[in-house]
Amino acid sequence: MLMDVAINGITAGSVYGLVAVGMALIFGVLRAINFAHGEYYMLGTFASWWGIETLAFPYALSIPAAVVVVAAIAFAVGLLVMKRLIDAPFQVGVVATLGVSLVLQNLVIMIFGGTYKMFEGGWIEPVEIGETFVSKQRIMIVLAALLIFGGLDLMVRLTRFGKTVRAVSQNFEACTVVGVDVPRVVVGTFVLGCALAALSGVLTAPVVVSLYGGMGTAITVKTFAIIVMGGVGSTTGTLLAAWLLGLTESIVASYLGLQYRDAVAFTALIGVLTFLPGGLFSRRERF
Amino acid sequence: MARISRRRLHLVLAGALAAETLPAPGRTQGTGSGPLRVGLVVPLSGPAARWGGFAWRGASLAQSEINAAGGVNGAPITLVRGDSQGTPVESVSAARRMIAQDNVQAILGDIASSATIALQPVVEDAKVILLNAASSNPDITYRAGVGGFRWTFRAYPTDELRARVILQYAAERRNFTRYAVLSVDNDYGRGAIAFSKKYLPEYNGQILSEDYYKDDETDFRPVLSRIRSRNVQGILMYGLPDATRLIVRQMAELGLAGRVALLGNGEFIVPDTIRVAPAVLNGAVEAAAWSPDFDSLRSRQFVENYRRAYGAEVPNVHAYTHWEAIYLLAAAARSATGREQEALRTALANIDYDSATGRVRFDDHNQAELPMIIYEVVNGQAVSRGSFTARVQYPAR
Repeated sequence: MLMDVAINGITAGSVYGLVAVGMALIFGVLRAINFAHGEYYMLGTFASWWGIETLAFPYALSIPAAVVVVAAIAFAVGLLVMKRLIDAPFQVGVVATLGVSLVLQNLVIMIFGGTYKMFEGGWIEPVEIGETFVSKQRIMIVLAALLIFGGLDLMVRLTRFGKTVRAVSQNFEACTVVGVDVPRVVVGTFVLGCALAALSGVLTAPVVVSLYGGMGTAITVKTFAIIVMGGVGSTTGTLLAAWLLGLTESIVASYLGLQYRDAVAFTALIGVLTFLPGGLFSRRERF
Repeated sequence: MARISRRRLHLVLAGALAAETLPAPGRTQGTGSGPLRVGLVVPLSGPAARWGGFAWRGASLAQSEINAAGGVNGAPITLVRGDSQGTPVESVSAARRMIAQDNVQAILGDIASSATIALQPVVEDAKVILLNAASSNPDITYRAGVGGFRWTFRAYPTDELRARVILQYAAERRNFTRYAVLSVDNDYGRGAIAFSKKYLPEYNGQILSEDYYKDDETDFRPVLSRIRSRNVQGILMYGLPDATRLIVRQMAELGLAGRVALLGNGEFIVPDTIRVAPAVLNGAVEAAAWSPDFDSLRSRQFVENYRRAYGAEVPNVHAYTHWEAIYLLAAAARSATGREQEALRTALANIDYDSATGRVRFDDHNQAELPMIIYEVVNGQAVSRGSFTARVQYPAR
């Protein structure tokens, strides 16, 4: 059973990680928590589902299609809402993104109805590992998380865009002085972050199976816990924190009871904010 | 503008507020020569939305059938609906709106026991009938009739009966003694398990693992892994249909097919669920208040009319119970001796009505004695194993 617990923990953690890194990037450049982040995860899932159900896409095609669709939505939201948060106080960001969250959730419920949908696609045949079974999809999720985190790490360190993102995270006024197009970087980062959340949604859909317009809210809360634990600004830290949360949740669910699992994220949040406000991997406060 | 003293202004405002919020005493929402106004409070979005949708379609079908045949006392039935989202808060909110704005005489609702329990005091204050046709937590009628809430009625069997027949079947026909619990975390799921635990010693059963899931839970693997490692024979599951499909799929993934049987209630016998993983559902035992192949003329006619009205969709238990409930209310309205709410309530309390699954008569706790039917999945098909009723044992006051 320990193997099961570990595998469950790592796969759940990888899902959270993919979503969390997007929120971390957005927070880095905007200093605003994107409370609608879980909704882009939900939109990715719905876009993929719609492609499979209505347009008869194979699952593999629905992955990039969904990411593109959500990126377009994120681009619109970025221009209309997120750009205006650049120099705004923290509260404005909270209210604005909460508003976006409500709008997105209820639009989906209005368009697709309030009942749960079943996601039919995906590679769910199980593979035997030791004495336990894991579906191919969950292995894919872990691999995707590793690839994307590796890629992001390289991007942030080596590419021009990555360096600009780091610069804006550190001091956006200086960036404006130096000639960096801050709004463009902000919208670009926002689109990237939301696209990652959408990707996580599409990859997880075959495993989660039930889709509903409100499915993103639980994700947003856990993501928030992860970026606080991981410390803002470090992609490796985010992935480690995500795995840690996933594993802890898995242990609690297996040995204590399923009903206690969601409490882990909140408890972790309270603990970290009280004792280690800089996150688990750094000693100083970052914000 | 004349200067009004502050005090007077406050008095006027307080008076206006009080008039708004207090129910108008002796409001004649009478029957007799007026249309029968019924409100339906069910989840139309959220985890139980499927059930709410079925309930609405069943009730609408009854409304159109009755109205096509001349209505009640010469006037058509009005049916309005409110979305409870399956939560007590929204349920109460929808009910209050209906009572204040739509002047309903009776509310059909809710589906989730937790929401129904929340509605009981609301209708009691407003003197509106609450006819429940879907919640199974026994407390609802422990506290109704002589138990307190005179305006609550239930035409649906309870988990006191269901928990017992399920355990009895598992123990006597399948020789099960090792159980796990995986039920939804609300009054319905927890209530059914509380009763199961009461009966367990009688059937030599023990619970080896106990978990409750939130209604939007999607990952059951930790629990299922634990269940697999403890050699459990049957999982006592009182839950929601969407969760059941996920659980069944994850059971297939973890290699639990054929090793553990699902027992309880959660749409195990519906073809859509069986299709998800037939090997897992073989041997599942469900106790339901009704099923589309229930063997009675009225029931079969209902299924046929429903399918004709709704694009060949097969109705579920909630479609049936809410359809029957509208007919029940219509019968009460026809036999009521006056126009006031109290007359309608008395007519319902004394009714003797032939429903498709049995005679409906309310006991002194406003609970009708209706059967639970046991179904077992054999080779991908649901097979009926008999129908069971029992007297409710009300706790001594």
